Amino acid sequence: MRLVQGIYDWFDERYHITPLIEKNVTKKQVPKTLGWAACFGGLSLLVFLVQVFTGMLLLMYYKPDPNTAWDSVTFVKSNVPMGWLVQRIHTVGANLMIALVFMHMLRIAYYRIYRKPRELHWISGVVLALLTTMMAFTGYLLPWTQLSYWGAKVGTEIPRAVPVVGSQMVELVRRGKSISGETLGFFFALHVWVLPAIVSGFMGMHFMMIRRTGISRPL
Amino acid sequence: MSNERPPHEGRREFLKVCIGGMSVVSAGMVAYPIASFLAMPQQLGANKPLEVALSDLLPGQAQYVEFQGQQLIVLAGQEGPAVFSASCPHLGCNVIWETGDGMFHCPCHGAVFNGKGEVVRGPVSTGLEKVPFDIKEGKLVVG
Repeated sequence: MRLVQGIYDWFDERYHITPLIEKNVTKKQVPKTLGWAACFGGLSLLVFLVQVFTGMLLLMYYKPDPNTAWDSVTFVKSNVPMGWLVQRIHTVGANLMIALVFMHMLRIAYYRIYRKPRELHWISGVVLALLTTMMAFTGYLLPWTQLSYWGAKVGTEIPRAVPVVGSQMVELVRRGKSISGETLGFFFALHVWVLPAIVSGFMGMHFMMIRRTGISRPL
Repeated sequence: MSNERPPHEGRREFLKVCIGGMSVVSAGMVAYPIASFLAMPQQLGANKPLEVALSDLLPGQAQYVEFQGQQLIVLAGQEGPAVFSASCPHLGCNVIWETGDGMFHCPCHGAVFNGKGEVVRGPVSTGLEKVPFDIKEGKLVVG
């Protein structure tokens, strides 16, 4: 304990962590009038971090190829110790994240917290909600099951309703005429790198705004 | 009474221990699944023996096979088949069978081994590792 305290003090002397922790955690003032519904944003972040972490673990075994994708997911679920747990947390977490994000959004819409000066907070939030659904959609294809294949097929069919360029858009998101190994590789890249990178950017914007304006107080 | 403990000191200590204990238990509940996830899992078919049909072996030719994550060479030599580890004992490059001179050549540092796996030339003193095998029902079986 003395040793841990010593190491902490050494870093604290240089980084000044304690005032930061006091300001933001231990001595942070939260309005009394806030209910538990104000937690949905923070819970979304928590589930997002769980998704990032379980995703890292799953990535160690996943092979993004039509011949091996299903086998590698099955391998994680049935042969890797606790793999079933990690895989299940990632799946349930995806559903939970969508639910939490939309409950967060509903509350903000209901109390009209999007008004000035929080417009950018709302805009970045809407983008984050869309990105969340894209994360879920791209991740759904990765286990390469019948459900994921047909889910991706139906989902990527949607842009065809766009006039004139609809068919080209469908081919663009499928990386070809039909759902194939190219689609799987593309979705994999989106799911593990491209979308998380964009999400992080918008999260920064989102969190910077709540630092700026503080949490909205109900009247 | 200056050396008397202030009120609630015992309760505070008790709560500290409780919170500390629960934190350790929670951390363990997260750490245990992660640690076991990262442990080496049993690979699919790891205990399956490797089988090569003798009719597939062409005289004087060698073929590469993978067995338990290791590259093996099955050579159909003049004195019957032989199985070697493909890994050169020098630094582990995969040796290549040359049908022309009937020798194994290492592409990395030029080691040469004959059809029995013995050193002919090169930076090594030990020959290719021999892998034991059985012949059952027209099949060469390793493991």
